[in-house]
Amino acid sequence: MILSIKDLAAGYGKFRVLEDVDITIKPDEIVALIGPNGAGKSTVLKSIFGLTTNYGGKIIYRDKNITKLNTSELVRLGISYVPQGRQVFSSLTVKENLEMGAFITDDKVLIKKKMKDVFAKFPVLKEKTNQYGFALSGGQQQMLAMGRALMQDPQLLLLDEPSLGLSPKLTKEIFQKIIDINKERTAVLIVEQNAKQAIKIAHRTYVLEDGKVALTGGKNIVNNPKIKSIYLGGR
Amino acid sequence: MSIVVQLLINSIIAGSIYALIASGFSLIYSVAKFMHFAHGAVVTVSAFILFFFAGMLKFPFWLSAILTIIFAALFGLLMNLLCYRPMRKRKATNAVLLIASLAMFILFQSLMIAVFGADIKTVRLGQISTGLNVFGGIITELQIIIVLVSVILLVLLWLFMKKTRLGKAMRAVADNKEVAQTVGINPEKIYNITFMIGSAIAGIAAVLIALEQNVEPNMGFSLIIKGFTGAIIGGIHMVPGAVLGSYLLGLVENFGIWFLPSGYKDAIAFVLLFIFLLIRPQGILGIKRGVNNK
Repeated sequence: MILSIKDLAAGYGKFRVLEDVDITIKPDEIVALIGPNGAGKSTVLKSIFGLTTNYGGKIIYRDKNITKLNTSELVRLGISYVPQGRQVFSSLTVKENLEMGAFITDDKVLIKKKMKDVFAKFPVLKEKTNQYGFALSGGQQQMLAMGRALMQDPQLLLLDEPSLGLSPKLTKEIFQKIIDINKERTAVLIVEQNAKQAIKIAHRTYVLEDGKVALTGGKNIVNNPKIKSIYLGGR
Repeated sequence: MSIVVQLLINSIIAGSIYALIASGFSLIYSVAKFMHFAHGAVVTVSAFILFFFAGMLKFPFWLSAILTIIFAALFGLLMNLLCYRPMRKRKATNAVLLIASLAMFILFQSLMIAVFGADIKTVRLGQISTGLNVFGGIITELQIIIVLVSVILLVLLWLFMKKTRLGKAMRAVADNKEVAQTVGINPEKIYNITFMIGSAIAGIAAVLIALEQNVEPNMGFSLIIKGFTGAIIGGIHMVPGAVLGSYLLGLVENFGIWFLPSGYKDAIAFVLLFIFLLIRPQGILGIKRGVNNK
């Protein structure tokens, strides 16, 4: 396991969101986290990344207890987080955004090499190297946010709703990129509203309801009657 | 003709001084997102420190100047560490931080009166010169130095923000603190560095102003008001905007008193401030927030 969450209870200050959450991810897996609004999906990602109050339980990353570590330590350990809503540095250029992705290193040769890798994965970013973040389209901003995370050479990538607000065509493109990233041996934990698509690309899926894991399974989870009625609704 | 040249020279000198104040003020504003009016107190206290070293202890001027600038940087850092940081930790709003900054301003201004007295001090470097004649206008050597130092410093600051890893990290925190955290930048560290750099510039301004004008406890007040006005006119979110606004303010003020009695100089600044707050609060170079889902 690259990551195992055991009996996690987490939230924000006095506001508890998650209770008894257990999730595991293998190094070569894409794991999807689906569920209704307010179920606590994003909170799971934030709790791994040190952005919540954790009341109980443990988060183990590569045999190391990371429950109490701060964000910058987690980045150094190889965990990258792409927050919801196409978050880029809008007043920085594409190149500067990517450079900031590699903030934890000052090895210029390594940064250059990483940037080349990111440009190979997202050619559109190369064309826009010197454009400002705010001048990009929604899909390009999402790619930039993911590219920025890849600059950190993550072993575990946490993606919060990468398809949010994107057209079906762009969503498909982004999901294909996620598969590509995973094939290069990066474990991915993805939170998605778009349950059907997420199940399709994930090796395993967890369904979260009211801050608890309600259901878990492989790709065949899509045939589960409960999933069908609640999330896929015959659509 | 010569009056136009003289007014232009005066505008550039005034603009250079305002720009030094405004650049530090807007740098801190853009990164930490609140109005650090105590920046004016950094100028005042630094000028007195220069007077203390150069005037009272009779240290060589260059040494006094360096000590003053180092002092200013540490003074700004301490203000952040001892006042603003504990408040941020307790989730104080920006309005609370602003009030705290005004309180510190008054505290340190009063402290200067208590320690050094309310009378005017002077720091002089060599003889008072008659100045050089440039196209019919008069400018002293010191004033040329003020303009040159100001321009060089502002260019260096711009290059630092644009080209260095640290400068980019400062812009990243200014842009989106939460995302900056996700890439491993520690915003608190960036705040510390920002306060040091911004205050060091205020220290340099204090040295230049102390030579050109008098050292007095309330000198920081009019300076921060002018720096603030310059920053608002040009766009407080970005240092180049603040610099542009400062030079513009210098021009309007100095050419304004061609038509009006010179006592209206400060009033002109305020009228300009009001006009911009009403019509273009984001400033000349400012971008209206709200685009691109931000």
